[in-house]
Amino acid sequence: MNFARRTAQASSDLLLPQLTALMAYHRQACPAYARVLEATGHPRTRRYQQLAELPWLPVRLFKEHALVSTAADPVTTLTSSGTTGAGASRIALDREAAERQRHMLIATLVNLVGPQRLPLLIIDAPSAVRQQRATIRGATVLGVMNIGRDPVFALDEDLEVNAVAIDHFLQRHAGSDFLIFGFTFLVWSRFYSYVRSRAADLSHAVLLHTGGWKKLADQAVTAEVFRGGFREHTGLTRCHNFYGMVEQGGTIHVESASGDGLYCPDHADVIIRDPLTWQEAAIGTLGVIEVLSTTPRAHPGHILLTEDLGMLLGVDDGEWPGKRFAVAGRLPKAEPRGCSDTLAQGVVS
Amino acid sequence: MIRTLFPLVGNVPAEAIVARLAGSNGHPLQLADPRMLDFLGDVGQRLCLPARARLYPELGALGVWLRKRHLEATIQRLEDITGVLRFARGLVFHVAPGNADTVFVYSWVLAALAGNHNIVRISTRGGDTLQAILAVLQEALAQADPIVAATQSIVSYDHTDLASTAVFSLACDLRVLWGGDAAINDIRQAPLQPAARDVVFPNRSSFATINTAGWLSAPPARQKQAVEAFHTDAYLFGQAACASPGTLFWVGDVAATRTAQAHFTDLLRHTVSARGPQADAAMVIQKQVATYGLAVENIAREITVVCNEITTVQLAAPPRLPRRWLGTGVFVHWRLDRLQDLLPLLKRQDQTLTWFGFEYAELDAFARQLAGKGIDRIVPLGHALDFSPIWDGYDLLREFTRLVTINPPQTAENQHDSQRH
Repeated sequence: MNFARRTAQASSDLLLPQLTALMAYHRQACPAYARVLEATGHPRTRRYQQLAELPWLPVRLFKEHALVSTAADPVTTLTSSGTTGAGASRIALDREAAERQRHMLIATLVNLVGPQRLPLLIIDAPSAVRQQRATIRGATVLGVMNIGRDPVFALDEDLEVNAVAIDHFLQRHAGSDFLIFGFTFLVWSRFYSYVRSRAADLSHAVLLHTGGWKKLADQAVTAEVFRGGFREHTGLTRCHNFYGMVEQGGTIHVESASGDGLYCPDHADVIIRDPLTWQEAAIGTLGVIEVLSTTPRAHPGHILLTEDLGMLLGVDDGEWPGKRFAVAGRLPKAEPRGCSDTLAQGVVS
Repeated sequence: MIRTLFPLVGNVPAEAIVARLAGSNGHPLQLADPRMLDFLGDVGQRLCLPARARLYPELGALGVWLRKRHLEATIQRLEDITGVLRFARGLVFHVAPGNADTVFVYSWVLAALAGNHNIVRISTRGGDTLQAILAVLQEALAQADPIVAATQSIVSYDHTDLASTAVFSLACDLRVLWGGDAAINDIRQAPLQPAARDVVFPNRSSFATINTAGWLSAPPARQKQAVEAFHTDAYLFGQAACASPGTLFWVGDVAATRTAQAHFTDLLRHTVSARGPQADAAMVIQKQVATYGLAVENIAREITVVCNEITTVQLAAPPRLPRRWLGTGVFVHWRLDRLQDLLPLLKRQDQTLTWFGFEYAELDAFARQLAGKGIDRIVPLGHALDFSPIWDGYDLLREFTRLVTINPPQTAENQHDSQRH
């Protein structure tokens, strides 16, 4: 499958009118967003030639303010507790926006694994969707469940391996294509050691995993070690890391099977910004990741400056057409320094 | 366990520190005790050494403040009243702020000058500046009279160690609390002796005011100097000290103020590019989150990123002043027709007003109209962070001492007086 199908320029040409239209929509639907645009020099009359000129919102704004572009009753409010702040983003999601997210995620994954619904092994506990529907973890699991069938949870409620469930699943499905989904840390620390000990055959598997590498980096597990381990000991070659955030639900940037970088789905783009000039950073230069997506409808999350560091690895020169990039870590949070301390923890900590 | 930082006596329980400072000795510490003055003066000299002061600019200022002659002058401000004797309160327990490394020194030094025994709890989060201060204190202690080590203790312990806070609180005659409102409320859960009390320094906000006409008529050299002074006020503590200016009030007409603001900001841009500090990506994003938040709340009407180090904000009318930290280098502007128009905008929690281009008489009249309902200090640009023994409305040397009166033998006349009352 060719996950990304357009060159970077073609993709950008397509997205510019869609995103400026979306800006106009949110400007009218969300007065708070309109005020930010007016205050920062983006009046209604301003025109844009390039994606990089479009105004972003810093993603942490959603942790501090409820920005809503819908009058409909939200079906849910998604929360994420990022590591940069005590607060969690509260993202309103009405029925239409939720449906749109689901549709975009399915379209993205269909490009990756094809239109047939594959059996799905989830490297998580059943409670991830039962009790945590409104968290990024629960929402992501639910999203992926939409593209699979016959889902089986590989972990028990204590996040330990459920050997019976895994063995039974592999007996039934390992002979033809199937999906494995989970968070990177759980996939490695729980699932990998189990399937390795069993010498399981995962050569028909497509592994989708997401979430930070920090815990694994502490154990000296890099992306190469991760991919190499699965390839060597289970025959799994279709291993795809992906990058996304609750503030832009339905949009995931997926790594190619060869591991030559993360690629944007059809409806999204990334811009790596130089942290001094805030212009687009050159290929191979570390910068701050801006994400652009036509998905968000119920909140103005279509152009966001993240607090993640990343690097553009190349343009139209990899396994698929388009930009390829890597995520390299997270910016620290700026702390006040002074005698009136505003940290929740208090001054005497 | 309590980690002792000065004098260094290892890790000990809170009770041991209290017992040590309570131990009597032959010559108890006096108000303006020469042994303490010698020690503090020596510390001041060491802090002023060029190598050190270059590395930590705020230490140079502290060193100047600690010069022996300056300390003597400070203590002499306490007036002599016939029949009134002044003594130390006893044991003072100071809780220093978590992230302003030099503030604890001022509070401690004044209490020690007043003849008190002191326990100073400083944060475990202290930075390089703090380490440098502790090193200097240690150096000076070697030359000092043993009374210094016997009566003073600087310690550090985790803020969750409520038991130690309780021991120090119950032992002290006066507790001095610096810090955030929440932290102060937490510590206040620990009871004091019935006769003891708290001196508190909670969250404060500070501003600057510039007379537009005064600015425009000032010679260029004076303007440059003023902006450099403002740069010190704003950036020395990352605009996060309680005295760091957040909002600038311009007093003048619309057109002239617009010109003056643009000129001021341009000079500030040059100053910060020459002197720093440079803002990193996290700080730039912090400022975006904070200022965009002001637009979301309809507090800001215009946000201009001048450079990574400077963001200016024009307030929407009617003005609501942002009193929280927005990031290092966010300058909120509001124009007034007259200085008096500032009165209704101020609150009790407002501390320092730095100024430029006004006559002293205008400021004096303004302060009288304010009548203590907000703003504790009015100082020229560049002096926001100067420590004064009168702070947050307290005259600290008076807070740190107690009075004993001796009436003269009664004459027939004043006996009549006292009977009448």
